[in-house]
Amino acid sequence: MSQLIAQSIVSGVLLGGVYGLVALGLALSFGVLRVLNVAHGELLMLGGYLAFFAFREWGLDPFVSLPLVFVVMFGFGVLLYLCLFRFVTRTETHTRIKNSLLVSFGLALVLQALAVRFFTADERTISTAYSSEAFTIWSIRVPMVRLAGLVVAIVAAFVLEWVLHRTRFGKALRATSEDWTRAALTGIDVRRIYQIAFAVSAALAAIAGSMVSLGYSVSPSIGLGWTLKALIVVVLAGLGSMRGIVVAGVALGLVESLSSVWIGGQYREVTALVLFLIVLSFRPLGFFGRAAGA
Amino acid sequence: MLEVEGLEVAYGDLQVVWGVSFRVDRDSIVAILGPNGAGKTTTLLAVMGLLPAKAGSVRFEGEELIGLPTHQIVDRGVVMIPEERAAFQSLTVAENLEVGAYTPRARAEYEETLAEVYEIFPRLAERRKQSAATLSGGERQMLAIGKALMARPRLLILDEPSLGLAPIVVEDIFGVIRRIRDRGVSVLMVEQHVEMALEVADHAYILEMGAIVAQGTGMELEADPRVQEAYLSL
Repeated sequence: MSQLIAQSIVSGVLLGGVYGLVALGLALSFGVLRVLNVAHGELLMLGGYLAFFAFREWGLDPFVSLPLVFVVMFGFGVLLYLCLFRFVTRTETHTRIKNSLLVSFGLALVLQALAVRFFTADERTISTAYSSEAFTIWSIRVPMVRLAGLVVAIVAAFVLEWVLHRTRFGKALRATSEDWTRAALTGIDVRRIYQIAFAVSAALAAIAGSMVSLGYSVSPSIGLGWTLKALIVVVLAGLGSMRGIVVAGVALGLVESLSSVWIGGQYREVTALVLFLIVLSFRPLGFFGRAAGA
Repeated sequence: MLEVEGLEVAYGDLQVVWGVSFRVDRDSIVAILGPNGAGKTTTLLAVMGLLPAKAGSVRFEGEELIGLPTHQIVDRGVVMIPEERAAFQSLTVAENLEVGAYTPRARAEYEETLAEVYEIFPRLAERRKQSAATLSGGERQMLAIGKALMARPRLLILDEPSLGLAPIVVEDIFGVIRRIRDRGVSVLMVEQHVEMALEVADHAYILEMGAIVAQGTGMELEADPRVQEAYLSL
């Protein structure tokens, strides 16, 4: 029994790392643009396919193709901003959420249908030579390809925090997320900040997708599930701390994994949502969240 | 240096500003006074490109500003301090000053401007590493002004700089506004604190119901019986 628990702790933490990675992008677009992109999971799905096809067609190792996936999906993010989300951000902050929900829900359906059409509905996994490698401590298996997801999440969070706190651009981004009107009056080109923040958000989703197709699997319909996880993580952590997002992701992974041992596998999603409700009622700003001005 | 002519601004069907004209000359302090809801802030937001103008023109050094995005207006040297909490609460004092110099023109002179701002407001240098949210009301207004100066303004626009401040702090702030003008920055301010504003302003306009109803030098307006009756408790 304790062996089983230890193993599920490890799997939970590793999966939770990917939750955190997906949530980083969502926190960025939600925190800066104040739009809720429910197609975030579909961007993850696209990134997963990109890494998969790069591996199958060109033999590119998923870690080698990581920068490529980032750049391509950054570009796709710019395109999505210019064609869709730009118009959403023209409205007042409080109408943005509603409008972005409609727009991004439509986008999610379109991307999903296109993925079925062009990639088929088959489940895909990147199987490299090292895919089955794992190291074992105290007879607990730690699969390398899943550990990679957690490592990428931690690196991404530290890089983001560094950019947000150490660069002028990052400070302008934080200023814009606090109040776009005052940011504009400061001389910040708010539209440009929005465009870049959204593109980075898309690229982060895609990076997570790479890790998902390496350690787990991708199919056209996985998007919504990942969006939901990311949303839960963002609410758990609150906006304001990137490291906090990864910690919350790991916590969610742990809770899910342990609940399937203790309560039963069919309840893991329910347990996560119950946790979500509890946090929402007691810490509406999340564990690491800060209200503007506090 | 700033010439506003026949400016009309509406929120949807609700028109708030009806053909307002005024000017700010180089090295002068101009005040726009009037009751709440007269359209003072609306006028300023339209000048800064944050609200679309229905009609009229806003020229700065001869160049039309209407149609330019706000950040480019700032880059031209027109910088506005919005009322209350003008600084970013989630940034430190130093970070606020750093983003204050965001336009390429301001960035080029970042070091010198920062030294000047710390010289005008030594208190900000002491609190450099503190979050802006921890500052007192007066310090907040100093930071707001310091941050605006970082953008290297040629015309500084202030919306209700005295709002929510203790009278003694208000004196300080008006003193600073004079010093800023003496350094070659023109000032346009909106105020409800009429007596004090008339004292520092070279020229003032009274705005009521979205239209200019009186104008003149500070002394002229102080002597105007209508102004005395409506705004000065004499």
